[in-house]
Amino acid sequence: MAANATVIGRTTRVRGRLSGDVDLKIEGFVEGEIAVTGNVTVDAHGMVGANVQGRRLTVRGAIRGDLVGAEAVVLEEGARVVGDVRAPRIAIAQGALMRGLVQTADDGAARAPAVRAQQVAKPAAATSRAAAAPPARAHAPANAAAPAKPPGAALPAPPSPHRGNSSGARRPPPPIVPALKKMKGQLLKKREH
Amino acid sequence: MASTVIGAGITIEGEIATDEDVVVAGTVRGKLSAKEAVTIEHGATVEADVTGGSLVVAGSLTGNVTAVERVDLQSGARVIGNVKAARVTIADGAQFKGNVDMDV
Repeated sequence: MAANATVIGRTTRVRGRLSGDVDLKIEGFVEGEIAVTGNVTVDAHGMVGANVQGRRLTVRGAIRGDLVGAEAVVLEEGARVVGDVRAPRIAIAQGALMRGLVQTADDGAARAPAVRAQQVAKPAAATSRAAAAPPARAHAPANAAAPAKPPGAALPAPPSPHRGNSSGARRPPPPIVPALKKMKGQLLKKREH
Repeated sequence: MASTVIGAGITIEGEIATDEDVVVAGTVRGKLSAKEAVTIEHGATVEADVTGGSLVVAGSLTGNVTAVERVDLQSGARVIGNVKAARVTIADGAQFKGNVDMDV
């Protein structure tokens, strides 16, 4: 590590944006955004709710957010990652857990958003909401979520309740999937407190 | 050795809260609260309200400061803001503009 290394200690909580030209070691809690040009290490105790950009990312802790490594991303044993991983070189060791898109090159970026929408739609809450959406709104993201529907959900989603009620009290439309993506940070907050 | 180090070259915009010592050599904007010692090194820039057990400043600090024990402004420090602590020292060569409240 460089002499100007930054360490976020175990009991430290940072909310906000971290940027600069340093190596970063996270043993504590960071929520917001991380964009550095040095190496980033997330320790086994580290918890990150942020998109992380760095040169070489080494993960042994928990991350909810997208990882972009200019050089490499290494998920070591104990890593828990929910989000997309993008780097020229990616390693996922045995014992590392992750859910998201993995891409070992920069090409095909145009295709990525559709795949990412599918990833976001997977959690149970998102799936049930997507399933309840009226057909007019249930375009690509809801279709992508369809195979992951919980067994309890009505198959297929009956359009009648929404249509019937719409004449009287018009309910706000259910949130679409991209909105959930923005909420990621808050979802994380709820789970961890 | 402090367990949290904000190294030179990094910028943190937001809130930092910790139970351990903090050394700041980089840039912090927002809020910094620690239970133990906070050190703002020469060359560091802090634009934040700072609370801590004790505080040593050798860099640039803009914001209000509250420490449980003491605040030491070292030579070369540049502080703009109010300082509240049981004990406050200002070294020869420190620049300071603000109120001092020592609970008298």
